[in-house]
Amino acid sequence: MSYICFEKINKKFGTNHVLKDIELDVEKGQFVTLLGPSGCGKSTLLRCLSGLEQVTSGRIYLDGEDITAVTPRHRGIGMVFQQYSLFPNLSVRRNVAYGLKLKRLPKAEIDQKVEEMLSIVGLSDKIDQYPAQLSGGQQQRVALARAMVTAPKVLLLDEPLSAIDALLRKSLQIEIRRIQQQLGITTIYVTHDQDEAMIMSDVINLFHDGKIEQTGTPEQIYTRPATRFAATFIGNYNLLDAKDFNRAFGTAIPQPEVAVRPEIINLSRQAVAKGEGLLVAEGKIASYISHGNLIRFSVDVNGLLINADVLFEDKREFAQGDQVFVTIKEDLVIGLQ
Amino acid sequence: MQKRARINAAIVMSIIILWLMIPLGATAVYSLFEDWTGIVPRGFTLANYKTIFTDTAFLSAMYQTVLICVIPILITIAVMLLALFTVTVYFPKLEKYMQLLCMIPYTIQGVILSVSILILYARNDSVLSQRMVMLMGAYCIIILPHIYNGIRNGMRAINMKMLLDAAEMLGESKLKAFFKVIVPNIMTGIIVSSLLAVALLFGDYVIIRNLSSANVNNMQQFLYQAMKRSSTEASAVSMVIILITFAITALVLALQSRGMLEKMRNEGK
Ligand SMILES: Nc1ncnc2c1ncn2[C@@H]1O[C@H](COP(=O)(O)OP(=O)(O)O)[C@@H](O)[C@H]1O
Ligand SMILES: [Mg+2]
Repeated sequence: MSYICFEKINKKFGTNHVLKDIELDVEKGQFVTLLGPSGCGKSTLLRCLSGLEQVTSGRIYLDGEDITAVTPRHRGIGMVFQQYSLFPNLSVRRNVAYGLKLKRLPKAEIDQKVEEMLSIVGLSDKIDQYPAQLSGGQQQRVALARAMVTAPKVLLLDEPLSAIDALLRKSLQIEIRRIQQQLGITTIYVTHDQDEAMIMSDVINLFHDGKIEQTGTPEQIYTRPATRFAATFIGNYNLLDAKDFNRAFGTAIPQPEVAVRPEIINLSRQAVAKGEGLLVAEGKIASYISHGNLIRFSVDVNGLLINADVLFEDKREFAQGDQVFVTIKEDLVIGLQ
Repeated sequence: MQKRARINAAIVMSIIILWLMIPLGATAVYSLFEDWTGIVPRGFTLANYKTIFTDTAFLSAMYQTVLICVIPILITIAVMLLALFTVTVYFPKLEKYMQLLCMIPYTIQGVILSVSILILYARNDSVLSQRMVMLMGAYCIIILPHIYNGIRNGMRAINMKMLLDAAEMLGESKLKAFFKVIVPNIMTGIIVSSLLAVALLFGDYVIIRNLSSANVNNMQQFLYQAMKRSSTEASAVSMVIILITFAITALVLALQSRGMLEKMRNEGK
């Protein structure tokens, strides 16, 4: 049995069926993400694991033990919330010490653990300040220290960075991942941001409408979306009607729809020979958008509009109306049911 | 232009304030002089204040009044905290009904309240028929909306549900977390609303007259007795009551502006 097992979890709020037969395994020491659009039930699943919500049916196992009916404070789980949840009337030191005090550890041990954890999150100098004196990012790092200092069996993070500005968010993503690896703590992380999930995770679970749509490593999820939803949510996939695609490129893809990533599509002025495993078609540049590091050209191939990304080096290679050859590696074209 | 408008506003405000202060000033002057039958009062004296502050009846009245105010406030705070905790955490759907219930006392006149209580309980031979119990019960009802609002606003300002969740995940029980984490954070709100309640109860005359029996010796009763003895002494008693109410109001304002400053400082970050 895996370290954490969700078995046929259902959760209803009144008539709102939020979690539908969720089956999910998490291995010890892994960093696992629940990724999906807002409202799809990610937080609810996390709260069911923490015990703050009761499941309607199904069972949850942690470390070989059925914890479905155990109260939250006896589950040995740490949690960091989306909004800042530090206790405003307590200093950083007393916030972090809160869980240790409840365990009735000797004071010297508490002090030592608190100081050690604050140095891991890089906030040793803020130990005597109050939450209101800290920035949002610092508050979340204290919250992380507070959740980890009791050495919980699992650490749950529910969009802890969503209220933090983009630049700082990037560095905190890397920092959280570093701390998680340093301590080897099993972590479940909720986010709606695919970049965040890609950067941090060992395993991503793509959530959609109360179900897990796809589970895999970041590479698997990115390069092999299994469903239409996965392909729309991840990356910038071209979703094309298979009949039109077959006609334009002379292929015979059986599924009704194909997904192609814009960065694997090659554009060139010179004719390209239809080689082994290469799909080629002729088209015309319809429009383009500059994204800074790359330019996304929209190419019209027999009425089929395909987005293709070209790295922006020193000048834009094509203008509107230019004739171009579109080349795609055949094995990177994904048929979708 | 704007400056002139401001000056005009200041003048109007000053006149209104002066106008409202006239009776107060007159009472103060009256209490400080021996005689005010002519245009100018004669014979400055602190004798009236000396009399009342050395009168044991006055001091015991003061003590009684404070007791009659403080006990209902403490009871109401305790009941409201527990009720709001239970409703917020376990029955959030009942919150709007609770709000409705707690607002009803705003609409009840003191006379109606005290007479209704008398009719309901006076002939009852349980502890409820005791005058002191009835009076304090009535006071609990009068201050209920204020205490409710104070605590409720304090709870809104912090994210109570999430703080409780966080404490619970750290191994605390919900009720203990409530008293260790939530209550300290809404203390300013609780203090402000209790002080408002004190001011409110200090100014009450109707309910206490209807409900307290003759042997309850409180400030209002004392004032009534003093009026029979000497009108200058009665003025001095009024001044003391007014000054106490003023002091309480000033304290409330100070606490509120401190809370506001803190908030501004936090939001500025
Ligand atoms: N305590 C609750 N009571 C009623 N409905 C809830 C509650 N919590 C969440 N929901 C509903 O469950 C659904 C999923 O919510 P949530 O798990 O928060 O989504 P996510 O975290 O993926 O954005 C939403 O439709 C939300 O309205
Ligand atoms: Mg959520």
